[in-house]
Amino acid sequence: MNVQKTDLVGEYLREIELRLSGLPLLQRRELLADLEAHIETARQHGAYSESELIEVLQRLGTPEEVAAAAYWEAGPQPPRPTYTPAPEPRSGVPAWVIGAIAGFVMLFLIGVAGLVMFARVDGESAPEPLRIEAPVAPPAIDAPAAPAPEPTE
Amino acid sequence: MSDAAQLTSGLRRGTLEFCVLAMVERDAVYGTEIVRRLGEERSLATTEGTIYPMLSRLRRVGWLDSKWSESPTGPPRRYYSLTDDGRAALGRFRAEWVSFRQTVDRLVGTGEA
Repeated sequence: MNVQKTDLVGEYLREIELRLSGLPLLQRRELLADLEAHIETARQHGAYSESELIEVLQRLGTPEEVAAAAYWEAGPQPPRPTYTPAPEPRSGVPAWVIGAIAGFVMLFLIGVAGLVMFARVDGESAPEPLRIEAPVAPPAIDAPAAPAPEPTE
Repeated sequence: MSDAAQLTSGLRRGTLEFCVLAMVERDAVYGTEIVRRLGEERSLATTEGTIYPMLSRLRRVGWLDSKWSESPTGPPRRYYSLTDDGRAALGRFRAEWVSFRQTVDRLVGTGEA
């Protein structure tokens, strides 16, 4: 019997606590302590059975109602600071996965680069582009050198 | 039904806290007792668990003071009492409320004939 009551109250308070994550720690603790004392007082005054306890909790309101009132009374400022720490645990989990993928990609690129190098050496195709580039480069340099004729006086 | 509930909660929003201040005007009252008394007023349709966050706010703005005290029969009780600022706020509300109520009565047609 006692275990069942504790489970019911514990579950109720946990449901409320889950919804209060946007509130400052001390306000959250204060409210949960107040609710706990309220329920304990009701028990002392004769709410012994589970059905009586359910009635006490129903009068307190659903976890959604209580949490909504807590946010309303807290005002618009508090929710921000607690939102920032939330993403941290998410990024921590896949970090090693990203590292492993990056490692495989690196190995793959090194392998491909090696194959390309060997392919060029074997096919003797490397010298050809060098010969083509050489004649093209000189005219490009001559063009900007056009103003040179000025000092011919 | 939901329209009536919405109307009640709208009316309650700005006035319930002053009912609480008046409740602890003379003697300190513990939280659960405040909640119980408000819960007994049917026309206020109070959800008991929503009173605690309000008590917390009234304490944070400095209108209520709270002190824990041992109880002979159960868990420690948190007694609320009125601060000087709370007393001043209650005085302002009383003056404001009378003229506010009279105006609404006159405009809505609920005043004495």
